[in-house]
Amino acid sequence: MAFAWKASGLTYNKYLSVAARVVRRSLKDDKRLAAERRGEMELRFAKWNGGKQGENKSLAEANAASMAEAGSHSSS
Amino acid sequence: MNSLRIARTALRARPAAIKAPLQRRGYAEAVSDKIKLSLALPHQSMYKSTDVVQVNIPAESGEMGILANHVPSIEQLKPGLIEVIEESGGSKQFFLSGGFAIVQPNSSLSINAVEGYALEDFSAEAVRSQIAEAQKIAGGSGSEQDIAEAKIELEVLESLQAALK
Repeated sequence: MAFAWKASGLTYNKYLSVAARVVRRSLKDDKRLAAERRGEMELRFAKWNGGKQGENKSLAEANAASMAEAGSHSSS
Repeated sequence: MNSLRIARTALRARPAAIKAPLQRRGYAEAVSDKIKLSLALPHQSMYKSTDVVQVNIPAESGEMGILANHVPSIEQLKPGLIEVIEESGGSKQFFLSGGFAIVQPNSSLSINAVEGYALEDFSAEAVRSQIAEAQKIAGGSGSEQDIAEAKIELEVLESLQAALK
């Protein structure tokens, strides 16, 4: 496989966000403080089933869990 | 009936319309040795269809220099340095975190990236300390995903460090 991160279950979206995060952290202090706020994401979601709202979950945690699962499938 | 007449006059008018652009030498043709660059980040557009002479990009398939009339293509970018040679002859360097470059048939180039900054905005010290930290995580016993993330960070940081030298 061309990309090592793909084998670990990471998506291209995750790859881009990790690369962007590290670029922001490498900036000089004044620019870094302004830029780092762009990396924050606090989306939450809930699945509706049978007219009832399900559990309210964090999107970042759900994504991390699904990537861990994808990684364990491809390596086994 | 009336519409038919319009269609017929349109037919007659067309040959002249086709010939005319070939003979007229407009401003747009005279500057066709330039490439229109649009460099866009989600929060800012750094170039908006600006005429530039050449753009050097770090594509996954290798370093590329793009001039006017380049063959249309889509290239995935590595985290790395892009160089824009402007009309005035000066050149500007930006570090992009990765994205896509799209060369369109009409000599226009669109580059999309998540983060991009001029080289002088980076702190060599922050890069060094992050390399040490990422190396520790990459060689540690974290989850597979944590190690993969640390390796991505190392790739970006090493490219950044090479660019800062």
